[in-house]
Amino acid sequence: MKENVASTVVFILLLFLNINLLNGQSPPGKPEIIKCRSPEKETFTCWWKPGADGGLPTSYTLTYHKEGETLTHECPDYKTGGPNSCYFNKKHTSIWTIYIITINATNQMGSCSSDPRYVDVTYIVEPDPPVNLTLELKQPEDKKPYLWMRWFPPTLVDVRSGWLTLQYEIRLKPEKSAEWEIHFAGQQTQFKILSLYPGQKYLVQVRCKPDHGFWSEWSPESSIQIPNDFTMKDSTVWIFVAVLSAVFCLIMVWAVALKGYSMVSCILPPVPGPKIKGFDTHLLEKGKSEELLSALGCQEFPPTSDCEDLLVEFLEVDDSEDQQLMPAHSKEHPGQGMKPTHLDPDSDSGRGSCDSPSLLSEKCEEPRANPSTFQTPEGIEKPENPPKNVTHTWDPQSTSLEGKIPYFHVDGSKSSTWPLPQPPNQHNFRSSYHNIADICQLATGAAGASATLLDKTDKHAFKSSKTIETGAEGKAAEQREVESFPSKTDQDRAWLPPQEKTPFLSVKALDYVEIHKVNKDGALSLLPKQKENSDQTEKPSTPETSKEYAKVSQVTDNNILVLTQDPRAPNLALFEEQAKEAPPSLPQNQAQIDLASFTAPPGNCRLQLGGLDYLDPAGFMHSFQ
Amino acid sequence: MLRAMGRDKASLDRMTFDNLTGSLLLLLLLVSDLLLCKSVASLPICPSGAVNCQVSLRELFDRAVILSHYIHNLSSEMFNEFDKRYAQGRGFVTKAINSCHTSSLSTPEDKEQAQQIHHEDLLNLILRVLRSWNDPLYHLVSEVRGMQEAPEAILSKAIEIEEQNRRLLEGMEKIVGQVQPRIKENEVYSVWSGLPSLQMADEDSRLFAFYNLLHCLRRDSHKIDNYLKLLKCRIVYDSNC
Repeated sequence: MKENVASTVVFILLLFLNINLLNGQSPPGKPEIIKCRSPEKETFTCWWKPGADGGLPTSYTLTYHKEGETLTHECPDYKTGGPNSCYFNKKHTSIWTIYIITINATNQMGSCSSDPRYVDVTYIVEPDPPVNLTLELKQPEDKKPYLWMRWFPPTLVDVRSGWLTLQYEIRLKPEKSAEWEIHFAGQQTQFKILSLYPGQKYLVQVRCKPDHGFWSEWSPESSIQIPNDFTMKDSTVWIFVAVLSAVFCLIMVWAVALKGYSMVSCILPPVPGPKIKGFDTHLLEKGKSEELLSALGCQEFPPTSDCEDLLVEFLEVDDSEDQQLMPAHSKEHPGQGMKPTHLDPDSDSGRGSCDSPSLLSEKCEEPRANPSTFQTPEGIEKPENPPKNVTHTWDPQSTSLEGKIPYFHVDGSKSSTWPLPQPPNQHNFRSSYHNIADICQLATGAAGASATLLDKTDKHAFKSSKTIETGAEGKAAEQREVESFPSKTDQDRAWLPPQEKTPFLSVKALDYVEIHKVNKDGALSLLPKQKENSDQTEKPSTPETSKEYAKVSQVTDNNILVLTQDPRAPNLALFEEQAKEAPPSLPQNQAQIDLASFTAPPGNCRLQLGGLDYLDPAGFMHSFQ
Repeated sequence: MLRAMGRDKASLDRMTFDNLTGSLLLLLLLVSDLLLCKSVASLPICPSGAVNCQVSLRELFDRAVILSHYIHNLSSEMFNEFDKRYAQGRGFVTKAINSCHTSSLSTPEDKEQAQQIHHEDLLNLILRVLRSWNDPLYHLVSEVRGMQEAPEAILSKAIEIEEQNRRLLEGMEKIVGQVQPRIKENEVYSVWSGLPSLQMADEDSRLFAFYNLLHCLRRDSHKIDNYLKLLKCRIVYDSNC
């Protein structure tokens, strides 16, 4: 019996439920809180969205509890905010407090709660738009006209006490335009607009934002019509100024175009290039050294008729203590000590003329164990090289000349020293260009020292050697009369001077150099004039003073230069290449010059006796390597 | 005798009445004086309207408000960045309830309470809150540095906030020195004991500790900013900002 009743009840219940389900009714869906907002940080409102209502009338309640409390409250006001809203008035609002809010939907079938929402009023402040926006056109007499607008903060916001601080923004546009022009106004409640198009109708809006909140909506539009005579009076002045400056610019451009070059050259004058007076670089390139030298004002080489008159010429040789022979660029022989110091610090002075000081400016102060090396005129073979290159080419021969001492051997006669090379001095070398004639004179004159060579450069070398003297002291070169040339069987090396780097062999600065002797072969040995007593060469012999060797008569196959005497003394002197050994002790003041082979120079400088034209320094190179 | 007594009684009555009137008048005078005094002073805290005091107080408040506004902006940005980067989906917001160490300080919770509190008390309250944050800010900087992939934006803001907070504290002490030089309050502030939780090994707990600290910093910096703006409008502009 009882079982029957129970089962019947269950059956009816199920039936009832089924009937309800068939009707489509269900508990409500889950509601959701959309937004919570406070217009003035004193009250706030929350809105929610209902879920499915399940086909039955559903009621919604909002419950909340505050941070730090346990009590749950219900919404105090469902009406003020509109449908599905809850309004919290001042009494129920706490700032800096988290509200945990929940919506409950209930209907006949059941209820459903939303997810809790955590709301802090501090961060949901969004005020109403500003109110009472007024626009006014102002046109003061002596100033530009402008549009003046002002507004008031929204009514609910308490700005006076500082509870909220508002910032404003305005925007305006001509009525037909599509884009708004936005201006930030800060905390002020008025604004001026200056740039307006006359005859247009403008629309203006304003909005505000609290110091740590969201922007409000834009206020309703206010409009104003700009009259047609709303002109900017000073614009005509600017147009006038613009036209004037444009005209001025055009004139400037025209002037520059016409006289551009002269103006530019007036402003930026061209920089003059370096020039040697009378020196034609084209001639140099072509290799016509005769013309070149003639342009420079030098005499022919060898000198012809004049030379004969200058029989006795003195050469001045540098004798300063700090002068030593320098193996120019001789890296192979660094230790030879042949490093004469620079004798001519201000070598630039006055070296360009033919009257430059003597070529002999260096004296070898090395102990005799290290006979100075000398440089052969390698550069001679390249006459077209610019002088400074020649310096390099003068180079070591010195290396190979280790221990060699160029010298002239004159038979027994007092020898006048050959012009000794200058210290490494480019300018001295240049001066050599101008002194070949002198050297030539020296060579052909009574002074027997004539290892002259025939090339132009040789000519130069001679000249420079003559002028080497002491560059520093700048003494004029003088030709030294060679009294005699002792002939000599020994092989001597003629040494061509005037390379700047040519080591100056044992010639005292500022000394007159004598031909010490001439051996029977006609080799010259040179000695400084003032120390006659200390001069000892290895191969001295009684110099003959009467013979002078000034000209090269021929060059033999063995790179031997054959010098001849002056035409008055028609003796042949033969200078042979010295063996590769230095005389063990060379007096400091003695100069020894080795003459390598000389090839005939082209042209101008012709020996009187011989057919040799020029000296080829290549010969020197061979001999000393 | 009765007549004498009656006469004496009358005079007594008269005397009492006179006394009463006099005292009433006196009382009235006092009250009116009080009322008058209250309405006369424009800057109630400057003694006898000294100009220097008024001007310098205005500048001090302007400067303090600028600093507090800046600090809150930085705190807000820092919190948002941390939330976006580390706290998504962890449900930290549900746990950061009533967890600030400064909640023991009884601060006003709405506008009415803030306007009712006396400006000296409000100044001291601000000082207390500022002092309570010296230690946490220092450790925040050092702990953020030690985080893996220390976020540069957050670290730089933390360093900046720490420095500006120190400056604001100096400014506030100057203002307090001008407003109430006589009263020297003991340094009262809330002690922060959240350092161990910032150094926890469990990453989730450690991140929540950071989240909570940044959340409380954002809130307290907003409080300070709001109170200062209230005070400035009240003291310098006479509630007419």
